[in-house]
Amino acid sequence: MSDVIIIGGGPAGSAMGAFLSKAGISNLILEKAIHPRPHVGESMVTSSTRVFKELDFLPVLEREGFVHKYGASWHAPNGKEFAIEFGEFPQPGVDQDYTYHVDRSKLDLLLLKHAESLGSKVMQGVTVKQVLFDGDWARGVRIAVDGVEVDLPCKVVVDASGRNTLLGNQLKVKVKDPIFNQYAVHAWFEGVERGKEEHTADFIHIYFLPIERGWVWQIPINDTITSVGVVADKNVLKDYRQDIEAYFNMGIQSNPDLEAAMRSAVRINDYKAEGDYSYTMSSFVGNAYVCIGDAARFVDPIFSSGVSVALYSAKYASEQIRLAFETGDFSEAALKPYEEKLRSGVNVWYEFIRLYYKLLPLFTHFIQSKTHRIEVLRLLQGEVYNRGEVPVLDAMRKYIESVENSDKHLLKDKLTSIPID
Amino acid sequence: MDRKTILMDYIKNEIMRNRNARLAEDEDLLGSGILDSLAILQMVAFIDEQFGIEVPDQDVVYENFNSIQALTEYLKQYPG
Repeated sequence: MSDVIIIGGGPAGSAMGAFLSKAGISNLILEKAIHPRPHVGESMVTSSTRVFKELDFLPVLEREGFVHKYGASWHAPNGKEFAIEFGEFPQPGVDQDYTYHVDRSKLDLLLLKHAESLGSKVMQGVTVKQVLFDGDWARGVRIAVDGVEVDLPCKVVVDASGRNTLLGNQLKVKVKDPIFNQYAVHAWFEGVERGKEEHTADFIHIYFLPIERGWVWQIPINDTITSVGVVADKNVLKDYRQDIEAYFNMGIQSNPDLEAAMRSAVRINDYKAEGDYSYTMSSFVGNAYVCIGDAARFVDPIFSSGVSVALYSAKYASEQIRLAFETGDFSEAALKPYEEKLRSGVNVWYEFIRLYYKLLPLFTHFIQSKTHRIEVLRLLQGEVYNRGEVPVLDAMRKYIESVENSDKHLLKDKLTSIPID
Repeated sequence: MDRKTILMDYIKNEIMRNRNARLAEDEDLLGSGILDSLAILQMVAFIDEQFGIEVPDQDVVYENFNSIQALTEYLKQYPG
């Protein structure tokens, strides 16, 4: 028997396994798929470096030649481009001024193998049917292997099942976000013209589209392959009668820089569609269980925050679990500090995203303003935890309120319908 | 250089991206689309950086930004 059972072998589950193994706590990772398997979410933020370093995973990322991501570039619909570079805002504990773009099938496999090399037990091709409870205490999981159901006991269950949100569904604690119901269509291409300027070619490029919450990502996967994804409010897709290729092409044609970048591009795999509505579990922890990564909370992917949230949730939750093994107290109250830490961090992401979509030109303005630039960079680089106050978000909010309250402000017609209170 | 010339140069070089552009002092910057929403905020940031004047949010209105002339007039309340 393992002390901890981890449902899911994506970045959250593997990082959890790695942290626990390093702490000497036995753990078993149960993965439904058999890696490598494809996954969306191919770009990262620099704060992830800290966790990778703690897990001794940076040498693997370097050895495997993942593309270095030194910055991000935005393209307005009128053809204006502006960029940020991570080197401008050095982060404590992060010794490199870049993060990575990743082929997730490869990254996730490597992370899972890394956890295994540190001592985690791994079973792939195993579906977890449900978490088993005694009253409201988690006591194990029921799995299905080749149609045979087996119950596995443990002291703590970690739900890292990603957007499947196994425990959230089972306990009916999943709360859908009232604002963000986005839809993404994406594929890999060869022959994408990645940048007008050489030094930004391997940045992530974000193209604004002149439609409701519409944008496109361009992420280099390796020397020749580029991932391109069109994102917009799900209602936009309805106008295309669910024709995802037409939806994708509409996105490409809505921004002149993007259209130019895609002129000679050739698609090399199928279009994939993802609903990526945002949600949260009303609680991330209970007696003898925790939810981490996308199984706890998911926010709109505009700022490449997903893998970072997965890694930090694994780090903070594993610290709480280690403490629980020391004290023998696995109760909800004992695990709650993890939830508070993660929730306040992801709420910073969420606020930033919400204010961003509320008044798009404001983000552009703040990032070019000498007063706010560094603080916006700090957020874009994933410094959202243990923050307390985040003055730059207050400044964005204040600006938006003054535009809302003024009758004649020139940006008034740029305000979207997103509520910000 | 006076403020008017500095603003004129900035709009031509940085916003229109054409130093030889023809631009009259009283040209309608907003109606003509020369200043879009991003450019308006760029101008606000430039005025702060160049002249040390922080234009209050409530003053970012049509009357003050519709031409170089109007903008220069508006800025006169701030001593140079």
